[in-house]
Amino acid sequence: MSKLGQVVEAVENYDKFVLDQVKRARTDEKFGRELLGRWNDIKAKIPVTRTPTGLPLPRLALPEIDEPGEIARYFFGEGLPGEFPYLSAAYREMYLEPVREIESFEKNAGTIDKKIPQAEEPTRLFSGLMLAEDTNERFHYLTRHQRTHRLSTAFDGPTLYGIDSDADGVFGKIGEGGVAIDTVEDMMQLYDGFDLGSPNFSASMTISGPAPIIMAMYIAAAKRRFGPKVVPKLRGTIQADIFKEVQAQNETIFPIEPSLRFLTDMVEFTTHEMPRWYPISISGYHIGEAGSTPVQQAAYTLSNGFAYVEMFAGLGIPVDQFGPRLSFFLDCGLDAEYIALARVSRRIWAIGMRDVFGAGPKAQLYKLHTQTSGRSLIAAEFKNNLTRTAAELVLAYVNATNSCHSNSADEPFTTPSEEWIRLAAHGQAILLEESGIFKHTMNMLSGSPGMKAVERAVEAAILDEFREIERLGGVLAAVEERYQRSQIQNASHRYEQQIYDGTRPIIGLNRYRDGADEIPDVKLARTPRSKQQLQVDRLAKFKKKNAEKAKRALDKLAGAVERGENCFPTLLEAAEVCSLGQITGRLQEVVGRFRPMV
Amino acid sequence: MASPIRILTAVPICDGHDSAINTINLEFIRHGIEVIYLGYHRSVTDIVRAAIQEDVRAIGISSYNGGHIEFFAEVVNLLRKKGADDIKVFGGGGGTITHDDAAIMKRKGVEEVFFAGTSLEEMVKFVHEHYGKPRAKRTRPKSADQELAHKLTEIEDSYAAGRKRPTPNAQRRTSKSKKRHQTSNFKHQTSRVIGFTGPGGAGKTTLIDELVLRFLNRNPKGKIAILSHDPSVVGEGALLGDRATMINSQDDRVFMRSMATRGQAGGLSPATHDCLALLAQLNFDNVIIETVGTGQEAMPFQKNGIVDLTVLVMNPDYGSRLQLQKIVMLDLADIVVVNKSDLQRARTAHTEIEQRLEQNRPVRRSFGEGGRKQQLIDTVAKRHRDPGVDRLFELISSGRDGALRRPAAAARRPYQQKRRKK
Ligand code: B12
Ligand SMILES: Nc1nc2c(ncn2[C@@H]2O[C@H](COP(=O)(O)OP(=O)(O)O)[C@@H](O)[C@H]2O)c(=O)[nH]1
Ligand SMILES: [Mg+2]
Repeated sequence: MSKLGQVVEAVENYDKFVLDQVKRARTDEKFGRELLGRWNDIKAKIPVTRTPTGLPLPRLALPEIDEPGEIARYFFGEGLPGEFPYLSAAYREMYLEPVREIESFEKNAGTIDKKIPQAEEPTRLFSGLMLAEDTNERFHYLTRHQRTHRLSTAFDGPTLYGIDSDADGVFGKIGEGGVAIDTVEDMMQLYDGFDLGSPNFSASMTISGPAPIIMAMYIAAAKRRFGPKVVPKLRGTIQADIFKEVQAQNETIFPIEPSLRFLTDMVEFTTHEMPRWYPISISGYHIGEAGSTPVQQAAYTLSNGFAYVEMFAGLGIPVDQFGPRLSFFLDCGLDAEYIALARVSRRIWAIGMRDVFGAGPKAQLYKLHTQTSGRSLIAAEFKNNLTRTAAELVLAYVNATNSCHSNSADEPFTTPSEEWIRLAAHGQAILLEESGIFKHTMNMLSGSPGMKAVERAVEAAILDEFREIERLGGVLAAVEERYQRSQIQNASHRYEQQIYDGTRPIIGLNRYRDGADEIPDVKLARTPRSKQQLQVDRLAKFKKKNAEKAKRALDKLAGAVERGENCFPTLLEAAEVCSLGQITGRLQEVVGRFRPMV
Repeated sequence: MASPIRILTAVPICDGHDSAINTINLEFIRHGIEVIYLGYHRSVTDIVRAAIQEDVRAIGISSYNGGHIEFFAEVVNLLRKKGADDIKVFGGGGGTITHDDAAIMKRKGVEEVFFAGTSLEEMVKFVHEHYGKPRAKRTRPKSADQELAHKLTEIEDSYAAGRKRPTPNAQRRTSKSKKRHQTSNFKHQTSRVIGFTGPGGAGKTTLIDELVLRFLNRNPKGKIAILSHDPSVVGEGALLGDRATMINSQDDRVFMRSMATRGQAGGLSPATHDCLALLAQLNFDNVIIETVGTGQEAMPFQKNGIVDLTVLVMNPDYGSRLQLQKIVMLDLADIVVVNKSDLQRARTAHTEIEQRLEQNRPVRRSFGEGGRKQQLIDTVAKRHRDPGVDRLFELISSGRDGALRRPAAAARRPYQQKRRKK
């Protein structure tokens, strides 16, 4: 049985364990009394907060139960926020306003509390456009009101495919849909003005195929700006999720095995040298956007995650060392499943990590970034997209996501313009700061009977997917057999057909089409030819300047790869003097190119 | 009946948004269209080369990552330059292609752009209306690739129109086309024909592409033709997707043609024999043919047929030893490959197949094969620079004049001559 099969068993056993505890609480009087005592203790200690109208509310809402069996079901099956199995939340308090306990409130009655900002704002907007300096400007615009600077970087097509801006036939793609990065110098420019070593800064980089190369460039850029001592202080994430690339996003550039090997080389390096870095973001977003069902999204993301854990553990890296450095990224759309998809994922991850991989509490946490669904946003009457995104944001925060990106309403057309980005960011602020839905009470919307019903159905369906993958020989074998890909494609086709046969209502498209034929007026972010030429010229200069050194660095890199040693240190050297495309090209000579799957 | 409409679809370079095109492909296929799918992250050159070789009616491009005005225009321009502007260009890209963009693109020669929200039905209707009518008279081909492509279309069309497999009598009817051949761009020569067959998923396509890579590296001027097959039912569509995975075969020195079997059982199409005969007499060093995945009884390459060398590609998971007994191709193949030898069962498979081949020797003698030893090779086609594939490549290359050359093949005459004589 593969590890995934063991996860299925572990979850089944855990569910049985919960039922046993419920029974025991009802039959074993001492145990029942203990639980009840603990329950009452906890309830008594919950601080009280007040809404702006003065209504007192507990900072944590718990179900209205006083029967030991039900209390056991809550403690073990769901867990308090921040407690195993983390169904309701990974942390004890999330999104809440700073403590205003009842006493302090009484003292300051009538005055407005000075707001202490939260440790980190959950809003994190994905952006990248044109050249490094343009994206840099956008980053400064986005973080102008934030105390903590959490940047999320989108790269352009050539960068995502590991090729240079001067490659054949890519000119028109430079700087489109993301930022063009060819060299360490571009990388320095990209985050200029930000203090990369600060505890209040983190950089997220959405790139997988060439992730180790881009990572090396980031480190090289940081070293040039802040000296070598900055390396252990660097905080951030790089996506580096190869499995989902093969399954959904189509940006794999080396064959699967060498791709995984470069990934593990990088993970080994960051685990030892960059303790604050998240070297992989296990992503369901692209699976969901490629058209999977929500259950498929959750199941493939989790199973991919467990496969990575098995791989890294197999290398001898202790699970408690790398486990806390894994994080997740999910899509949140409008389907009913989303009311509990992340909750269930968090629980399955915790159980699997604890009971199959022996992980400690820190490595059990499913730390989650969510993005609202881009595919749910459509061109017809596109301003409706604001409403769609708002509803999705509620679902995302109900699931206690750790950070979140809200899409802009102009998503179907272009890299968002500042106007729509601002509204997208405001959407989150309205929800978290203006409205009372999330700021007073943990669990404000958790635990409804409907949510519970979805949890049960989703968990069962996820386990079914695991069993199927297990039957196919585990994640890697299933990936190679195109299992996840074909499932996603079928679901996507069904989704589109449902739209066009009207069984899936889409307002403004197949219902209430009053304004569907209006031609939308949106400002397009297109990269001018002059900028594209500028990037090509810069690259030429860099290549000329470093020609000699690049050759030597590439030879050294190729040697390390051939010998099978961890090639990340040589990659770091290469990143100083080589372009992205030069490195990719050389690596492909040694390990081959990815053979795309249809 | 007329041939199904053939369309090529692709996603531009540096773009992996394939959700839309996957759905559209499926919808086209369901409505009787043969779709040659080139995959995502494809260059203008690859797209145009493939469209010309496959002689499609039109190219459907799905573009999301921007730069579409330039990309579509480059495709149109390159088609013009190659004298192939009878191949039309259409496509879509959801909301990323605006109405203003579409107007510019149409001015530059794009036939149609589908906006976000278009129903799948409308697209199918468009293709049937615009590309469903018989072709106007064809212009003079500008290149050897194009001429060959047109000829292959003629052959396929004539079979679709009811022609039967060439019997000695039937062949006379086509002798008219011979004259045109002689004044053509073709250099006449005989190529070596290598047939690959075996169950679906055994790795034939992957293996062929790996061999092509080695061939192109070894012979800086050499040329290869590939005829690849996918199953289809008479009058229905098909997804011809081999090009998407055969990354090394998208090269100016490789002529590739994807064929749907159009209802014929056994792994090949009714037109295959003639197409192959045509290819075999041209200036290719090797002509490679891949059958669709075949069952136990299948024997797609007849004895004394046009294939010089048959390679049977096996998957270690064929089941029991008993299953092995039933595989007819094991008697006929010159080379048997156990691919996926990275899998657990590969060793057992090798031993079982070796024993099975030993039994063949007397049988093959009575077939007039002289009891020549069949070769058995283990490969891992999916691995870069796999030594097993290297060995297979050497064996096939050395076979040109060496031990593997079948006596029957040496005496085989080129396509036209054979016809004239009968
Ligand atoms: C799904 C999606 C993804 C998925 C793709 C999954 C996959 N395997 O396809 C994921 C999450 C992986 C993804 C990633 C990225 N994406 Co994206 N993605 C989208 C999204 C949300 C939907 C596109 C889609 O498939 N729609 C479903 C199809 C069926 O419907 P449709 O688009 O309306 O198309 C209709 C017609 O146009 C027509 N049609 C389309 N093509 C063709 C072709 C033919 C021949 C015909 C006849 C008709 C036709 O048929 C459809 C049905 O009517 C769009 C935004 C949006 N809402 O449209 C962004 C979008 C296209 N993505 C974008 C970007 C930037 C990216 C990234 C580059 C982000 C990054 N920097 O990392 C990456 C690159 C990925 C890659 N490998 O290239 C941008 C492009 C911006 C631009 N051009 O200016 C968009 C517009 C979002 C945005 N505003 O930023 N993406
Ligand atoms: N494990 C393994 N998989 C392989 C190997 N060669 C090919 N494959 C995979 O097998 C599948 C089918 O390959 P393909 O070449 O399309 O097979 P065909 O149907 O015989 O043409 C693909 O997913 C390949 O990646 C190999 O040597 N080992
Ligand atoms: Mg094949």
